Amino acid sequence: MLTGAQVMVKCLEAEGIKAVFGYPGVAICPFYDSLYDSGIRNILVRAEQNGGHMASGYARVTRKPAVCVATSGPGATNLITALATAYADSIPLIAITGQVSSELLGKDVFQEADITGAAEPFVKYSYLVRDGRDIPRIFKEAFHIASTGRRGPVLIDVPLDVQQKLIEYVPVTEVNIRGYKPTVKGNSLQMRKVVDALARARKPLICVGGGAILGNGEQVVREFADKFHIPVVSTMMGIGVMPNEDPLYMGMLGTNGKPHANYAVHECDVLMLVGARVADRAVVKPYKLERRSTTIVHIDVDPAEIGKNLGTTVPLVGDVHVIFENLLKFDIPGDYEAWNAELAEKKAAYVDRRHFNPDFVNPCRFVQTLSSKMDEDAIYVADVGQNQLWSADNYVMKHGRFLTTGGFGTMGYSIPAAIGARAALPDRQIVAVCGDGSFQMSLMELATMQQWKLPIKFVIMRNGYLGLVREYQHHTYHDRYSGVSLDGSPDFEKIAEAYGLQYFHLENNEQMEQRIDEFLACDHAAMMVCEVYSFDLVKE
Amino acid sequence: MRGIFSVLVENKAGVLSKTAGLFARRGFNIDSLAVGETDDRGISSMTIISTGDERIMEQIEKQLNKKIDVIKVRRFAENKCVTRELLLVKVTYTNATRSDIMQICTVTGAHIVDLSPKSMVIELTAKSTKIDRFIRLIQPFGIIEMARTGALAVQRDSNE
Repeated sequence: MLTGAQVMVKCLEAEGIKAVFGYPGVAICPFYDSLYDSGIRNILVRAEQNGGHMASGYARVTRKPAVCVATSGPGATNLITALATAYADSIPLIAITGQVSSELLGKDVFQEADITGAAEPFVKYSYLVRDGRDIPRIFKEAFHIASTGRRGPVLIDVPLDVQQKLIEYVPVTEVNIRGYKPTVKGNSLQMRKVVDALARARKPLICVGGGAILGNGEQVVREFADKFHIPVVSTMMGIGVMPNEDPLYMGMLGTNGKPHANYAVHECDVLMLVGARVADRAVVKPYKLERRSTTIVHIDVDPAEIGKNLGTTVPLVGDVHVIFENLLKFDIPGDYEAWNAELAEKKAAYVDRRHFNPDFVNPCRFVQTLSSKMDEDAIYVADVGQNQLWSADNYVMKHGRFLTTGGFGTMGYSIPAAIGARAALPDRQIVAVCGDGSFQMSLMELATMQQWKLPIKFVIMRNGYLGLVREYQHHTYHDRYSGVSLDGSPDFEKIAEAYGLQYFHLENNEQMEQRIDEFLACDHAAMMVCEVYSFDLVKE
Repeated sequence: MRGIFSVLVENKAGVLSKTAGLFARRGFNIDSLAVGETDDRGISSMTIISTGDERIMEQIEKQLNKKIDVIKVRRFAENKCVTRELLLVKVTYTNATRSDIMQICTVTGAHIVDLSPKSMVIELTAKSTKIDRFIRLIQPFGIIEMARTGALAVQRDSNE
């Protein structure tokens, strides 16, 4: 006989979990006590929300569900933003929360929160465990649900008494959920229609989203584009599918994207959306595409995405890599040379007309230089704000990963996500880039970094403002800057010293190359502060 | 346009609120909703009636299907299903009005299920439009209390 908590740990071990990101409390103590005897390490976070983001970083680089843990009540509610972030970005997470004892449920006792109710809009599924004997089945199902179909977070809420009660551990290896049978293989008739549409096309275009990466489709999508010479644009979440050097790659589309990428979207005759949900930042006016009678091929593992924001001509449901492996077998007799030449011309003619104050660090050049100098397989984590848009726009993709929360846009994501990625990949170079606003939203996690001696590098683009909001107020509210000044921020050098980080400071463009070299060569956790002009813009 | 959805769901706690929450969150209308067990006690059947354009109907169907506790979603065409609502209405009567009320009941197929010296409770199971009509007929006599369920729907195999 084992306690429910011991069974929970056994279930995590059976799933191959090596680390959890959590914060204990009384209601989750039996679980923590069982963790004490296991090989699973608990990475103590400094705030539960960051534990969720760490699990997100971990899950994205391992491509498997990762686990975050919190106690009942405030611990659980603190997790909600991280769950919502993972939900919007389709990241497979397992969130385990402690709950007050079953007999106290609904009595508003100390640290009680109806977390399955509160988190309902932000999770793929949730469980409130009523009977300890269900634990093996629930854990098996939770990992299955999180990691198949459209990936997403699953919450398991376990009352204290359920964790304590002795039960017989009967491992569960099979999953059978009658209401959940995601389509993996694409329908062959629909596949044929895609091929026919491409054969008739003169100007086809592939738009890759985060689903192309989550569906492990980077390689096959690249091969497909290369084989048939189809140009590619990417959403922010799709950055990483195409290396920058590929001439077929037109860059990121949308409000903050490249003009030639948007030109391609509006001129194409067949638009193949691959794991992209057509949100407002990527395609601002979907009805324009509908009016132009562009053939829309929408490939997604989630049928509900198809036709949600954009009318679709050819829907195709399934996992991206399975579908593209099959599509690669077809012969498509299309000739897109004129189209490719047209786009190449547009791309070559692009001149960045933005002006940056020469006395400060040019953020675009900085991102280009930094990412070119990073290891081939390095991981770059961008936060949210101007830093994110400069990063997305200028990141030089080689064979690493670009992680950001393009779906939910949660400030403070980069540092915990970088910690999670590093906990999973101890040999990988990991650089997080944030602003002085987003940095201050999760700077407490520098302690977690220090505790586990994780040599993460992170850059703070300091401009003294919540820059993206300031920029919006500049364009929309005639420079009436309301609530955006970051006056009162601490001396970051002292913060670095306090947390035992190596400190680098970059004041202007002259020292850029050298300083980045030193920063990347340092084998210790390091902080680099870049002085960015307060009034430099993402968009002129 | 009206959409009639018959949704088979896992019969467990929280499923109703998850389903209703989905409608609220995504701004879909619920004109009526009725839930009950099926012949399999592990499965409940929900009948949800909603209004919206074709795109919304398609989204409702897809979003319902996406729910893990949802086992099956069917969308019925208006003429391809049998729908029924249940009405319970308490009306006052006098010796002068009693026979009029009873006559209306006979004609419409309603039953008197409780009779007291001053009031009676009438039950009617019918299509939504017929229930509306019955209420209009009975209203002048004085309704004390009224309750009606959402519609239930089952697919019709015959051609009507």
